[in-house]
Amino acid sequence: MSESTVLTMDKVEAGYGGGLVLQGLSLELTKGTITCIVGPNGAGKSTVLRVISGLLKPSSGTVTLGSEAIGGKAPADILRMGVAQVPQSGALFPDMSVHENVLLGGYPIRRERALLKSRIAMVEEMMPIVKERAHDKAGNLSGGQRRMVEISRALILDPSLVLMDEPSLGLDPKSVAKVAAVIRNMASEGRTVLLVEQNVRLGMNLATHGVVMEQGTVRLTGDSAGIADNPEVASMYLGKAIGK
Amino acid sequence: MQIVQVLAYGILLGGIYALLASGVTLIFGVLDVVNVAQGAFLVFSALFTWQIWDMFGIEPLLLIPVMGAMMGLIGWAIYRGMLIRVAPQGPGMTVLLMFGVALTMEGILNLGFGNKFKSVTPAYFTQSLNIGEIVLPYPQLISGVLAIVVLGAIYAYLRFSWAGRALRASSQNRDGAALVGISHKKAAGFAFAIGAATAGVGGVLLAIMYPIFPATHYEWIARLLGVVVLGGFGSIPGAIIAALLLGTMESFAATFVPQWAPLFFYGTILLILVFRPQGIMGSKTREDVA
Repeated sequence: MSESTVLTMDKVEAGYGGGLVLQGLSLELTKGTITCIVGPNGAGKSTVLRVISGLLKPSSGTVTLGSEAIGGKAPADILRMGVAQVPQSGALFPDMSVHENVLLGGYPIRRERALLKSRIAMVEEMMPIVKERAHDKAGNLSGGQRRMVEISRALILDPSLVLMDEPSLGLDPKSVAKVAAVIRNMASEGRTVLLVEQNVRLGMNLATHGVVMEQGTVRLTGDSAGIADNPEVASMYLGKAIGK
Repeated sequence: MQIVQVLAYGILLGGIYALLASGVTLIFGVLDVVNVAQGAFLVFSALFTWQIWDMFGIEPLLLIPVMGAMMGLIGWAIYRGMLIRVAPQGPGMTVLLMFGVALTMEGILNLGFGNKFKSVTPAYFTQSLNIGEIVLPYPQLISGVLAIVVLGAIYAYLRFSWAGRALRASSQNRDGAALVGISHKKAAGFAFAIGAATAGVGGVLLAIMYPIFPATHYEWIARLLGVVVLGGFGSIPGAIIAALLLGTMESFAATFVPQWAPLFFYGTILLILVFRPQGIMGSKTREDVA
């Protein structure tokens, strides 16, 4: 494990009820990279995110953030350690204003008023929508705008690792481009991003690294260009058009 | 002039309904639990107020914070001790549980106080404020104004405090709240405590307005559920509008067609349920309880 390793998962097994979804998964994320997990439905992509954020306890194996084991810790503790999650959709509080939604992202640091204030100023600068639509109800925003607010809310804790589940889902191409720009921006600031994407072409374009999952394990890993060019991956997930 | 008097009386009555019903709707909004024991909480607080007043002759209004805190604590204990275990089994089971709690409380009150009417009658009980031709009895005036003040304080607390934000967040999106580190159990316990505390405060106000005996909780819960259904389950602004509407309507009916007053109250609710089943401010019908 090198110094720039942000997160390590080693032989992780986890599941819901009876069956194991993750079957000895190992993964390593380096600081400032964007890693995209692809794979068929049911491969366990979202489960990886749930294990890291603490929503699901691994039944065996280790999850290490920096030098600290986080496997099985409570979600609130993992959140405070700098791991924020942007879920698939519908994570906002629809009857609250955009401002209040973003403010609530700072719930774990609510007693550190000065810090919270400076973080809000930081996010307002990064994400113009937070200021422009501050007083609008989150429920009245479009899908793309909501996704921006969800990302803004996650950024309030200044996370070192951002987990994103299908950030492009249900968005029009223009919004997808905006979200992609925000994700690249986060990585250039030194944050590490781990995302799950159904849209493999988009995911590999955006990411620096790719992980191909199959049946709860990592089938293939490497830089995203290599993954996208891999003939096996191309035929399995990308369709023939990509290989050209 | 009589119309102004009836209207003022209706608004005061509506203010009290609003305070009591907002407790029920707050609990539903966060926990998805229809607290049918709210009437029993109310009568519990009212009879304890009577007991303390009867023993020590203390001004009953001074008991408002005491009874609010006591019922809040009892509510929190009921949530942590019982409701938290039954909640995963769905709204049907929690209604049964809360009905059981109501019956148990009624039994305890029957043992302690007997099945007799009790009235708290401080010096101002028979006095009234006269403005020109308008006569407002002090018990109604004080209770109505205090209910509106307490409700305003609760509203401001929910709106501007972190605990209130966490509670609203948990009611609007439980998973979303978990993502920002808000514990649903804590928010739910807090919501149940505040909801029960409104009954604690309401019990004191009720005690100086009406004679109380244990079984009156049935009548109260019927009214409160009526207000909450009319306003839209889970909506506090809805409950306030519905309470003022029903309070005013009841006041008018009681003045001009007294024998029809209950029909007006429940008839309005029936019409609303037929033509707007989600209530005045409700955004959707909750299939699981409606």
